Amino acid sequence: MDKLKVSTANLVILVAGVVMLIASFLDFNKFKYASLHTSYTAWSSHFFLIATIPALIGAVMGAHVAIEAFAPGVRLPDRLLGLSWTQIHLVLGFQATIMMLAFLIQDTKPLDKGIGLYLMLLAAIALLVGAVLRMQEQPSGYTPPSL
Amino acid sequence: MADRQPPTPGEIVIMVAGALMIVFSFLHFAGNTSAWGTGLFPIATLLPVYGLVMALQIALTKFASVNLPGSVLGFTWEQLLLAVGAMAGLMAIGWLLTDYGNKQIGAWIEILGGIALAVGAVMLQRERNTGAIG
Repeated sequence: MDKLKVSTANLVILVAGVVMLIASFLDFNKFKYASLHTSYTAWSSHFFLIATIPALIGAVMGAHVAIEAFAPGVRLPDRLLGLSWTQIHLVLGFQATIMMLAFLIQDTKPLDKGIGLYLMLLAAIALLVGAVLRMQEQPSGYTPPSL
Repeated sequence: MADRQPPTPGEIVIMVAGALMIVFSFLHFAGNTSAWGTGLFPIATLLPVYGLVMALQIALTKFASVNLPGSVLGFTWEQLLLAVGAMAGLMAIGWLLTDYGNKQIGAWIEILGGIALAVGAVMLQRERNTGAIG
């Protein structure tokens, strides 16, 4: 059986994307007072869509590397809006990280930050690291758009 | 004196949107809180910051003749403007669809400004013939 070839960078992105998606269904913010306990995920009302964007970004990045690795028959365009896929991964990874850092810094009192938020932050950082590794694996990834 | 080209429609859209976004970011975003206020900072502040960065890049290169490096991390400036504009548009849609109570004037200007940044960045691709669009 042929071994599927997934680069380190793509593996990092794939795992991070899965973790990001799963974490988005865990507690993003929670409230606990005496016996009262309420929690909200990134998909809950008041959080959807702004807190869901990093999860969607993770899903898109993970799906792209999964298609690249496991569905060689699927033909994707080399560029999207003049950006190579490596550049798109870098932009999306950066965006997910900056948003999750913002959610981390945000003062949510009286709500506490939940495990979902922390896992999403770690996954976002991993997405960015994966995107940077992908860029290093493909030094020729950047080619100026043709005029 | 060197000839200076007037700003293109795409550049004007980005500069005006960025300026409005930073000014209106100090007005109420939700309830009595601005995008810089407790509970919203810094997640709601990202949009005006993106607008400011894009507007400054255009204004500095257009009016102050600041020479910036040709590319950053393998991105041309047009690609960077498109990427930041697209992310601003994405966050604008995010805030538009998020139910966090009554959206105030600051929020509406941020949402419209974010969409304008994305539109301006697309217009810029056509104006500068980058080949990214169409």
